[in-house]
Amino acid sequence: MNKSWKMYSHGNAGDFFDELITDTGRPRLVARHAIKMLQGLSSEEMAARRGAAELAIREMGISFTIYSEGKNIDRAWPFDIIPRIIPDKEWQKVSGGLAQRSRALNCFIDDIYNKQKILADGIVPADIVLESDNYKPQCANVSPRYGAWAHVCGTDLVRDRDGKFYVLEDNLRVPSGVSYMIENREITKRVLPELFKNNSILPVDDYSSRLYSTLASLSSRNRRRPCIVVLTPGIYNSAYFEHAYLAQGMGAELVEGSDLFVDESDCLYMRTVDGPEQVDVVYRRIDDEFLDPEEFREDSSLGVPGIMRAWKKGNVAIANAPGSGVADDKVIYAFVPQMIRYYLGEEPSLACVKTYLCMNEPDREYVLANLDKLVVKPANESGGYGLMVGPHATKARRAEFAKLIEANPRNYIAQPTLSLSTAPTYIDETVEPRHLDLRPFILQGKDTWVTPGGLTRVALVKGSLVVNSSQGGGSKDTWIVESTKAASSRGAAKGKGQ
Amino acid sequence: MIMLSRVAERLYWMARYLERAEDTARLTQSFNHLIMDIPAGSEPGWDILVRILDAEHVFGEKHRAFNEQNVLKFLIADEENAGSIHFCIKAARENVRTTRDVLPEEVWEHVNELYLFSMEHAAKSVGRRNRHAFLEQVVTRCQMINGLLMTTLCRDHAYRFIKLGHLLERADMTTRVIDVGAGALLGDERLNKAVDPLIWACLLQSLSAMGTYRRTIGPLVEANAVVEFVFRERSLPRSVKFCLDGIRQELVPLKHNHEALKVMERARRRLSRFHVEQAERQDLHDFIDRFQLELNTLGSIISSTWFMPVESQPEI
Repeated sequence: MNKSWKMYSHGNAGDFFDELITDTGRPRLVARHAIKMLQGLSSEEMAARRGAAELAIREMGISFTIYSEGKNIDRAWPFDIIPRIIPDKEWQKVSGGLAQRSRALNCFIDDIYNKQKILADGIVPADIVLESDNYKPQCANVSPRYGAWAHVCGTDLVRDRDGKFYVLEDNLRVPSGVSYMIENREITKRVLPELFKNNSILPVDDYSSRLYSTLASLSSRNRRRPCIVVLTPGIYNSAYFEHAYLAQGMGAELVEGSDLFVDESDCLYMRTVDGPEQVDVVYRRIDDEFLDPEEFREDSSLGVPGIMRAWKKGNVAIANAPGSGVADDKVIYAFVPQMIRYYLGEEPSLACVKTYLCMNEPDREYVLANLDKLVVKPANESGGYGLMVGPHATKARRAEFAKLIEANPRNYIAQPTLSLSTAPTYIDETVEPRHLDLRPFILQGKDTWVTPGGLTRVALVKGSLVVNSSQGGGSKDTWIVESTKAASSRGAAKGKGQ
Repeated sequence: MIMLSRVAERLYWMARYLERAEDTARLTQSFNHLIMDIPAGSEPGWDILVRILDAEHVFGEKHRAFNEQNVLKFLIADEENAGSIHFCIKAARENVRTTRDVLPEEVWEHVNELYLFSMEHAAKSVGRRNRHAFLEQVVTRCQMINGLLMTTLCRDHAYRFIKLGHLLERADMTTRVIDVGAGALLGDERLNKAVDPLIWACLLQSLSAMGTYRRTIGPLVEANAVVEFVFRERSLPRSVKFCLDGIRQELVPLKHNHEALKVMERARRRLSRFHVEQAERQDLHDFIDRFQLELNTLGSIISSTWFMPVESQPEI
């Protein structure tokens, strides 16, 4: 073992679950080959591999945009060369849980905009759904194909101290990051090709075609190749790279709102030099609020006037469907296990984080008494805005939140602080543990499909839990690996299974 | 192959702005040489450059006197003059930025570099000392980008709209150049006739056409022959005839081209019926005026036909 790994020489020092190394300092079974190979590299070789990764990122033009001081800066994608490795047996369970969750959430959204049975049966209190900003009355009585609303869901998972995966939140509006998941694998193939020899790693690069099939299945016109477009807010959006990447991967047009229009018969067209071309499916990457100035914000110039009319008439499919955000609310999050039992008659197989709803008096009292131990989050915000991490907050900040909670209890939830798992990460000259999370993507059309793995985001700052790329976060390639035993007898197992 | 109207429009304008930047640089460069050759007192005023570009009004809002400093600043570095070299480069870059995915990767890199170069040098190149080097760089870099497009772009709609933009802008600029020679702008009374050939030669140079002219027509630079040559020499890439032929060639394969072709044919007919030898200077100027209106009409028809299709609703 070379000296880069000295932080790990006595096992995992922190009080955290480490993804690759056990508490006694041995590589986990699934990571055995990879760790052996990586530890065999000299410091110079490690640095050279990192250099190669940086070069690949520049050459492939993988970037994200941050907006600061009135300027847009295209930043190279931050990437750590040491992969995060998960055994496929464990992943199968997680993946099943994610699919189950996605099905239940879609049943819920479809129910809310139609019969509202779950409210009538008192499983979820009606007022917290119908009074939420995320509930869009404009979407009532619409029945998208297959009852699927949130066609693309990005669910954030974390591992706590006990090594168990917990769902942190579901992103049902316009989740991003999937292009980086695919590109991370491309980079690893280039810079650590040896690793692929002894490991059987599930591929991730068929995402674009899976997405295409899911979207194509939503088309109401019976065409051999439905017309699919990716609707972007434009070059200034931080995820523009991904919009262009997915459009290219699906052979779809990347459009802006002004490229589209709705005619008198409520059909959607794009303006091309050969004349209008009817659009069947819109994979939109702009928020509901900006989608249609006729129905939502009048001042929106990003959207398409009349697109909601076209959608309600069934002339065009929109993914994710408008209004899907109703299930993407931190209060609703607390009810997902009940939804799974209610709609599917199954027990939830993925754990949720214990959630205190400040709207309930006993919960609120507990939260106010334990602010120093809890994470308080606003119900409607996403992207980590406006939350308070109790153990790290000042007294003044806690007092401020106590006031906020009392003023508007519906808008706040609280959860215990989790100890995010770590993984060996190559920082400067040494390999050190850094915290990470995982965002798998779930596609929901006629069928449900879950990405093998997902996007692992890692906080590059020591001790930090902030994995966001605009705030010093990086990412890792995520491997789902067939365990050694299974891998060696893979051919036989496959033969038997089918 | 689907081409979004918005993408087509941006490619078309990228080409127009690149061409305009290059042509303005060429014109300014030639005029610089001319000024140095002509005996003091006989030289044409700097105002000609502004008049060629029909920019007197915009110029007048900022400057009182048509002196060298003001005119060159206006043409090279002005941030608001849509005809200034720096403005054109900036506008071209904005258009490439949003169409990168349909262009060869290097196009963005080169256009971006051209922009960075102009950012750093345009304002410093108004004075005589750095002017030459700056203008030469702009011309060279524009040509490099054109060469890149010509040798790498797939001959589809993207190529078509880029070519339309280039040719339309170039036809417009070539007629403007001739207009200077037409004397409508060079008041006869204050000019020494002996410098006429120098002016015509300068204009030929700005079109990179001096050598071809000598080989095809002869060494004597004479007004009628130059006009005839620049208007109608179909083999000269900057002649009006060449531009019109090229535009026609790209219009033919497009759908809904009826109206554009009609205007196009009218312009071609007008050009072929114009007899240089029989025309007075005023006739030539009037002809160019009408001809430029025709080009403007063609530009608006291209825009209304392919960039904002009539079947669609108005933009909100």
